[in-house]
Amino acid sequence: MRLDREITCAQVVDLVTAYLEDVLDADDRERVEEHLVFCDGCSTYLDQIRQTIAVTGRLEPEDIPPALQDKLLAAFREWSPA
Amino acid sequence: MTAYKFLGDGSVSPFAGFRWPVGEWVEAAAADPCRRGIHACRVQDVPFWLGHGLWEIELDGEIVVYQRKIVAPRGRLVRRLTDWNRELLEEFGAGVLARTRTRFGAVAVLSGYVGDIQNHLASGRVPLAAFAAARAAELSGGPAEYERERLRQAAWLADRLGLGTA
Ligand SMILES: [Zn+2]
Repeated sequence: MRLDREITCAQVVDLVTAYLEDVLDADDRERVEEHLVFCDGCSTYLDQIRQTIAVTGRLEPEDIPPALQDKLLAAFREWSPA
Repeated sequence: MTAYKFLGDGSVSPFAGFRWPVGEWVEAAAADPCRRGIHACRVQDVPFWLGHGLWEIELDGEIVVYQRKIVAPRGRLVRRLTDWNRELLEEFGAGVLARTRTRFGAVAVLSGYVGDIQNHLASGRVPLAAFAAARAAELSGGPAEYERERLRQAAWLADRLGLGTA
């Protein structure tokens, strides 16, 4: 069971580029930010993407380290009773 | 109106990265585009945005209400609520744990959340503990219970910090 407005780590990962490009609507933006408050994995991920953009000036799919995605999804599962 | 805002070190906003001056009106270009308005919490929003420093902010102009926040065209930081510190955050977390244990510690499907919350608190992740408590409540009785647990958290914070009394 999941709240209507609740998003998963995987969804945050999907939305990260749109979030950083400021093209999410206000509700989705709020959902992403609400998640970032309590999810260390996604916060770390976002920081990493920001740093990548700062260094390379762009973000391409191959810039996203898959190992980091796996790590944050594992961190999320760690506490989930599912 | 009076509202609240969590800011990082140096009164920098956690998402926009804006360094807030104290006591000066800050104008946003418009309230509607989420990122360009001044974001703040009503009392009931506070548990969703737990952060480093908590400030009282005065908002002015037309206020747009979202589910977990409000957005205004103008805002002015009034004062930092110095009672909000690591100790109070931990006390808040302990209360969340105690309530979850009392309510669900003996409920087979939900008792696992008590251990989860304990682990989150042990690693300093109080916002995650508060979220997990609300999820346990939700599993017990649906989405309204999620909101109710968040309101209990807000009520505790309001009581300890004197929120909503200005
Ligand atoms: Zn996450």
